[in-house]
Amino acid sequence: MNRHIKQYWLPILIAIIGICLSVLLAYNALQLIKTAMPSLIIQLEALLPWLSLLFGVTISVLLAVAIIAIQLARERAVTLDQAREYLKNEVAERLQTEESKQKLEKALAQGQKLQAVGTLAGGIAHDFNNLLYAIKGYIEMTREDVQKESIAYKNLGRVLEATDRGEELVSRILAFSRRHHPELKSIELNSTLEAILELLRPSIPTHVTLHFEHSKPCIVLGNQTQIHQVIVNIINNAVDAMNGEGNITVRLKPITANNPLLKQFPHIPIQNYCKIEISDTGSGMDPQTVERIFEPFYTTKEVGKGTGLGLSIVHTIIKDHHGEISVTSQLGHGTTFILLLPEYVRQNEGE
Amino acid sequence: MAEILLVEDDELVRDMLSQVLQRASHKVFSAANGEEATDLLKTHTPDIMLTDIIMPKKSGIALISEVRNKHPQMEIIAISGGGRLDPIGYLDLSESLGASISFTKPIDNTALLMAIDLLLSNKQNAVH
Repeated sequence: MNRHIKQYWLPILIAIIGICLSVLLAYNALQLIKTAMPSLIIQLEALLPWLSLLFGVTISVLLAVAIIAIQLARERAVTLDQAREYLKNEVAERLQTEESKQKLEKALAQGQKLQAVGTLAGGIAHDFNNLLYAIKGYIEMTREDVQKESIAYKNLGRVLEATDRGEELVSRILAFSRRHHPELKSIELNSTLEAILELLRPSIPTHVTLHFEHSKPCIVLGNQTQIHQVIVNIINNAVDAMNGEGNITVRLKPITANNPLLKQFPHIPIQNYCKIEISDTGSGMDPQTVERIFEPFYTTKEVGKGTGLGLSIVHTIIKDHHGEISVTSQLGHGTTFILLLPEYVRQNEGE
Repeated sequence: MAEILLVEDDELVRDMLSQVLQRASHKVFSAANGEEATDLLKTHTPDIMLTDIIMPKKSGIALISEVRNKHPQMEIIAISGGGRLDPIGYLDLSESLGASISFTKPIDNTALLMAIDLLLSNKQNAVH
């Protein structure tokens, strides 16, 4: 009621004034007519007060309604304008967020592709080098057993030329994959993980909850994009392991050099680490799968549904960061990934 | 001339290297992994152990660090296949753990045989 009085005080005031004026006007008109046509007036006189009041009220109400209508129309126009402005800004903001998200996704995809090539090249190179070595060794030995002037000797020499070229090719592929070793910088994991998870949330099914347990800041030396890739790949795997429903929890915890967890990794340097734990309540894996999970091209998904490279890329990146990764899983209960990244303490900060 | 323990998980490379070493008049014992190598070391005292770094079950690195103290007179040569499975760092590590020298496959076998002769003559000179 108060709001209405505040907003419509003007029309109400005009209505009141209108009523008074109209009554006054009617009364004066009446007096004028009285003097001009006395007989008619005597008849009407009984009704006249009521007629004049009715007259006054009608005019005032019409005026008031008109004014209220104009006021409402103006207000509505303002509200519509405001709504339009707001919508425009919202859309612009959403478009920008969408754009940056797409840029990041593109960078991630590009990074993934390069990592994939690197992983592929690296994986093949080891076996290829073994094969080239065996071929070379056998050929050299065979050459010793044939006549130097024979065609066999010459041809074997050509085989050796071919293996030399094979060697060169492997080196070139390796060099290509190593060239994309991106720069390292100091990364604070709490805020980084938070940002990644915020980016991922919209693409996760509604009935899958993604929860981040913060802790004290933990800084590592690494590559931001690659760390993004690691988290994204693991979480995507977790989502795929659920049927649209479940929990994913990400925990960050600094651990010191004497933590018993480090004993799980016999060759790991003894120092402080940032531990990232990603647990899901998905379908879990059997021990055979767990053993092969980081192998390039190993996938439990049907053809076309997965490259089998996601986790092998994760493994490569963590190793490149001089860290360690382990996975525990129980069929029907879920999976937990533990990532250890060396904590970065700048030299000039001392102990 | 020397007794060489060859530890290599790739069957082709193992057979080829075995022949190469025998042709150079060395006596060769082969193992396909670190565990077999440890077993062989219980009954033999080779002059030289030639081992791959990346192997299943027990890695070459673990083997080297284990064996270094038990067989101080034995010379160790480390070899690796390169690629992702074996960043160059592992070869450096193997040398700091006790390998006298390391090679990346494909190895120039002439150089390998020369290195073996050198290590052998150093050993003999040291003994005398």
